[in-house]
Amino acid sequence: MDLHDLTAAYALDALDADETEAYERHLAQCEECREQLAELNETAGALAFGAVAPAPPPRLRSAILETAAAERTNVVPLLRRRWVARGLAVAATLAACVVVGFAVWAFRPGPRHVVAVVELGPHRGRGTLQIKGLGTAPQGKTYEAWVIPPGGQPRPAGLFPGGDGTFVLRLGGVPPHAVVAVTVERAGGVRTPTSPPIIETST
Amino acid sequence: MSRQLAHLSDEALVLLAARSEDSALAELYDRYGRTAYGLALRVLRDPALAEDAVQDAFLAVWRTAAKFVPERGKASTWILTLVHRRAVDAVRREQRRRTESLDPATEPSVEGVEEDAWLRLQRERVQEALRRLPDAQREALELAYYGGFSQSELAERLGQPLGTIKSRMFSGLSRMRELLGEPGTEKSWTSTT
Repeated sequence: MDLHDLTAAYALDALDADETEAYERHLAQCEECREQLAELNETAGALAFGAVAPAPPPRLRSAILETAAAERTNVVPLLRRRWVARGLAVAATLAACVVVGFAVWAFRPGPRHVVAVVELGPHRGRGTLQIKGLGTAPQGKTYEAWVIPPGGQPRPAGLFPGGDGTFVLRLGGVPPHAVVAVTVERAGGVRTPTSPPIIETST
Repeated sequence: MSRQLAHLSDEALVLLAARSEDSALAELYDRYGRTAYGLALRVLRDPALAEDAVQDAFLAVWRTAAKFVPERGKASTWILTLVHRRAVDAVRREQRRRTESLDPATEPSVEGVEEDAWLRLQRERVQEALRRLPDAQREALELAYYGGFSQSELAERLGQPLGTIKSRMFSGLSRMRELLGEPGTEKSWTSTT
């Protein structure tokens, strides 16, 4: 059996269990097959869109989400702040994907679950910072976002009050390896941060 | 329904799902659940089995999101591959289909199915590309992908050597790739807000 010949069948899930196992062992050692498989997988995946797609029953959505939520209830980070992901470079060949780098901080002050995502456009020209779950800033205070170039001074990148929902800030230009941070500042904002960041991501 | 994460890319959503952000899983389901269900239904021909396959696949997304590597392919491909694999496994377990005639390529009727415009466009594009394949290649792709037949089953049922089946699948997929254009030009899901 020439394992190189099995790439298309593998992409179509047309191998039996033994063949699949043999091919996957081969795949671990064959760069050429991995590259070919990545291409054929995308095409096989496109076939999924060829099927008529009636709406699934609404209970399917809720069953999935309820089961998923139940599985994660025991996984609560103990640290107040937690680094969850460094910048993740997405291959430029994935043209359909606008993210070239993003990073996430999640932390739990008390019961709150905060998610911050920095998403950069394909040319790094413009980025956005999206924050959910931060809560309203204290009386007389505001949240202020900063873009910090490597070795440079923090540049003010916008104010937001916090509260319910997701806040999206346009960050303007984000240089490579810049850090995006959020601090709590007096209402009206400041030109230089006066407190340690509550959120920090690298891109 | 809240679509707070509607502006994020699929890949960003998978990263969030890996960090237990369940609204990211919900958003991925809202983008691909319908296609996933249509695919599972086409392979399995049974709504209850199709639901099981889709549920298993999305829970696999939730459990293994941290292992997703964006450099190896799109998140949508990864998700739909998980769905397809589960549907094929299930159809092979089902003895019922084994006794049916070799007719898995029959498209369920589109009548009465309310589709959104983007999904309809995608379906027509894929079906048009399939139509343009040589008959033998189209038959091999449809029986394998939508029918869940293994290459050995196909060789036996079509009375062809295994090598011929392999080569039809390879040529068919390669030609489909050309017909569908570069993957990069494929329209990705975009927010309507």
